Amino acid sequence: MERAVLHAVPLGQMEVFQALQRLHMTIFSQSVSPCGKFLAAGNNYGQIAIFSLSAALSSEAKEESKKPMVTFQAHDGPVYSMVSTDRHLLSAGDGEVKAWLWAEILKKGCKELWRRQPPYRTSLEVPEINALLLVPKENSLILAGGDCQLHSMDLETGTFMRALRGHTDYIHCLALRERSPEVLSGGEDGAVRLWDLRTAKEVQTIEVYKHEECSRPHNGRWIGCLATDSDWMVCGGGPALTLWHLRSSTPTTVFPMRAPQKHVTFYQDLILSAGQGRCVNQWQLSGELKAQVPGSSPGLLSLSLNQQPAAPECKVLTAAGNSCRVDVFTNLGYRAFSLSF
Amino acid sequence: MSSESSKKRKPKVIRSDGAPSEGKRNRSETEQEGKYYSEEAEVDLRDPGRDYELYKYTCQELQRLMAEIQDLKSRGGKDAAVEIEERRIRSCVHFMTLKKLNRLAHIRLKKGRDQTHEAKQKVDAYHLQLQNLLYEVMHLQKEITKCLEFKSKHEEIDLVSLEEFYKEAPPDISKAEVTMGDPHQQTLARLDWELEQRKRLAEKYRESLSNKEKILKEIEVKKEYLSSLQPRLNSIMQASLPVQEYLFMPFDQAHKQYETARHLPPPLYVLFVQATAYGQACAHMKSSQPPRQDKTLSVAIEGSVDEAKALFKPPEDSQDDESDSDAEEEQTTKRRRPTLGVQLDDKRKEMLKRHPLSVMLDLKCKDDSVLHLTFYYLMNLNIMTVKAKVTTATELITPISAGDLLSPDSVLSCLYPGDHGKKTPNPANQYQFDKVGILTLRDYVLDLGHPYLWVQKLGGLHFPKEQPQHTVIADHSLSASHMETTMKLLKTRVQSRLALHKQFASLEHGIVPVTSDCQYLFPAKVVSRLVKWVTIAHEDYMELHFTKDIVETGLAGDTNLYYMALVERGTAKLQAAVVLNPGYSSIPPIFQLCLNWKGEKTNNNDDNIRAMESEVNVCYKELCGPRPSHQLLTNQLQRLCVLLDVYLETESHDDSVEGPKEFPQEKMCLRLFRGPSRMKPFKYNHPQGFFSHR
Repeated sequence: MERAVLHAVPLGQMEVFQALQRLHMTIFSQSVSPCGKFLAAGNNYGQIAIFSLSAALSSEAKEESKKPMVTFQAHDGPVYSMVSTDRHLLSAGDGEVKAWLWAEILKKGCKELWRRQPPYRTSLEVPEINALLLVPKENSLILAGGDCQLHSMDLETGTFMRALRGHTDYIHCLALRERSPEVLSGGEDGAVRLWDLRTAKEVQTIEVYKHEECSRPHNGRWIGCLATDSDWMVCGGGPALTLWHLRSSTPTTVFPMRAPQKHVTFYQDLILSAGQGRCVNQWQLSGELKAQVPGSSPGLLSLSLNQQPAAPECKVLTAAGNSCRVDVFTNLGYRAFSLSF
Repeated sequence: MSSESSKKRKPKVIRSDGAPSEGKRNRSETEQEGKYYSEEAEVDLRDPGRDYELYKYTCQELQRLMAEIQDLKSRGGKDAAVEIEERRIRSCVHFMTLKKLNRLAHIRLKKGRDQTHEAKQKVDAYHLQLQNLLYEVMHLQKEITKCLEFKSKHEEIDLVSLEEFYKEAPPDISKAEVTMGDPHQQTLARLDWELEQRKRLAEKYRESLSNKEKILKEIEVKKEYLSSLQPRLNSIMQASLPVQEYLFMPFDQAHKQYETARHLPPPLYVLFVQATAYGQACAHMKSSQPPRQDKTLSVAIEGSVDEAKALFKPPEDSQDDESDSDAEEEQTTKRRRPTLGVQLDDKRKEMLKRHPLSVMLDLKCKDDSVLHLTFYYLMNLNIMTVKAKVTTATELITPISAGDLLSPDSVLSCLYPGDHGKKTPNPANQYQFDKVGILTLRDYVLDLGHPYLWVQKLGGLHFPKEQPQHTVIADHSLSASHMETTMKLLKTRVQSRLALHKQFASLEHGIVPVTSDCQYLFPAKVVSRLVKWVTIAHEDYMELHFTKDIVETGLAGDTNLYYMALVERGTAKLQAAVVLNPGYSSIPPIFQLCLNWKGEKTNNNDDNIRAMESEVNVCYKELCGPRPSHQLLTNQLQRLCVLLDVYLETESHDDSVEGPKEFPQEKMCLRLFRGPSRMKPFKYNHPQGFFSHR
């Protein structure tokens, strides 16, 4: 009922169309600015909206400060993934990655800095880019998506250095192992592959759906989300959300969650996951469900933890998915408010 | 000389001095009588200066003698007595002299006084004379100024200028040689000339008057002639009527209508005039012929003219009555409770009374269906209402679900966004309603017709918001500015409703009537079938569990029409709740889906159901087909069938279940899933016939 109060009853043709657009909006990706005060969110219409977290969190926050300070058309198709370097916002969706200067975005001059397209083999349908991953050590960006490959791009020169081939279906997600330059990728084919960036070789493959503890054939094989912390990896999707020990390639904990999960992340000694359903789930490593915090969207696709040291007052968890709203959790216990497109 | 005079007087003094003191007065009086005149005369002879010298001398002498006497007395010798005696005699003489001098002085004084008096009288006489003269002078001066100030009448007369006078006046009047130098003569001459001119003008005026008289007489004659012509013309008109009818030239009819229109209340009159004008303009635009019988917009007036006339005569009565009875009512409410209901009822009826005349507008669409609009004017509420009826050229088989589509109640609903026609547009009415206990106009709308905002605008009534007491007058320009758009909207409305009507007829039989020009939007083979199309109530729609989003967004108002469609393929049943906005087809129907297949799937738990909804709701523009896109609903339903096909065929096969897939993949798809939310390829690419992701 909150929305019925917020918005006047749509009457005219344009108003109805806008109301329908908002109703069918999906926010696929989020990224926090390097200063930690702003949040970018990308939706299925290819728009990127910039919200000011500091304004929305301040004590004199008004209804307008929960609206985007600027919205711009970034891509033709959905914006599936976004990351922020210390100067740029990189967004990707329909086959291309585009770079935007944070400084210029905040001044509302939204002109793309550059765009790059990985070398694709097929031409009938442009493959999408589902995941972006920054590798700070070698200042490169890894793109993965529809063409079943991981493309590594040098951020300095903008050239694509190598392609890692191995997946048999499109790639959903990427994760970086901080210590060794290794990258994990999970895809529609149900496999999590571990790549060594130095040799550009696949070093390990875990076919999750083949393990009976976590396989759920009626949901499919696909791996929708991945997160890693030293020797540990958590992944979910069609198969149940499972904690794996990487060196031994064995599942240690299967989390009892029926709905497919679309995003997972380690946070302190907890695992946060979200997916089909309204809630952000908090798990103990032992597999106990610590808490389920309901948000405002019927399904969640991305979680973003703002841990920028530059803005400690904006340290929040944001969750977005199948609605035009980005839920903001100031602590992990409850939803404080929602930012809205 | 002085010595001489003193010598002369001396004996006299001695004489008088020698007289005894008793008889002194008598004697002196007589003596003096006798001597008075002589002394008077003497005065003139004597010199006052010399007398003064004498006086001084005598006084000195007296002093000296007194001093000698004193001296002698103080010495006191024997012989002194003689001496003193001698001296005393001498002093007596001196006293005499003094006395004489004194008298003389008195006489002189008297004389001086007389002289002064005389002189003064003379001066007074002169002064008086002077005063008289001054007065006379003043009087004369006054007379002179009076003369100077005298104004002559001729100065008020506007004379022709000097140059003009000399130019125009004949020389016997102007007499230039005399008048040039003499302004007086000049003025006289000019006045003469003026008089002459005025005489001439008076003559002219008299002539004109007689002329006018003559013309008036002529006019009179001509008028008589014309009035005798009228009955003859009438009879000719009467005779020509059948000819007019025969030739489709309804001049007379139009004339009669205009006659009737004069009795229309202002808003209806504005509507009548503007609608007639618009109708004629349209007819002229389409064909250069004069307005024919089959024009698209025809206007007529209905109702009794006599009643309207009767209404005009006592215009104040009803209102006075009302206010009187209002005051009365408040007093009698407590006493006459049982009759109160009847009273209120009457009062309500009075308030909602319509003007006896109404304007009929027939709007003809291209397919020969006609929208009949009847406009009424509620006199006491100062609003206009409309009743609508649609007739079609061919008899329609009315499908059950299309019941509301052409009903008079809803056919015009929301012609402009938000214009439901259920509330009174005149803010002042609310106060009137409060008085007689009407909660809202909604309950009376069926009977009275709908007071849509556009109706008020066509009638030139503009009601400001939040200013209930503003006086509202019918305005032609307002009506004119809304006439064209409203007529166009009305036409599209009727056409879209008729189109929907036709679509519903086949939808009810499970046929999705895709027209040939929209065929390219869909693949040739569509397996899913529409099995049910029913209308549902607004309340039922609100109850449905999968329509919550639409309800919360405020898109499910009670003015919309609601339908439920059921699409089936095999064991899969797709329910679609449809909101049909009265503004169809500019505002698309909105679908909410619920799939029953391997559990219940709605937009809440299945991203692809959500994507299907957005395919029909958001991407509706691709489905509009050729303008004016009346086929939108059909296309959306057909699209829904295609989407269900894609959804079912691309559902990943569960390895653990034995047996073949229920729905083998027949559609050509590039990829089955794409993106983080694993979208299915719902987009149909026309000539190639494959499905891809949006």
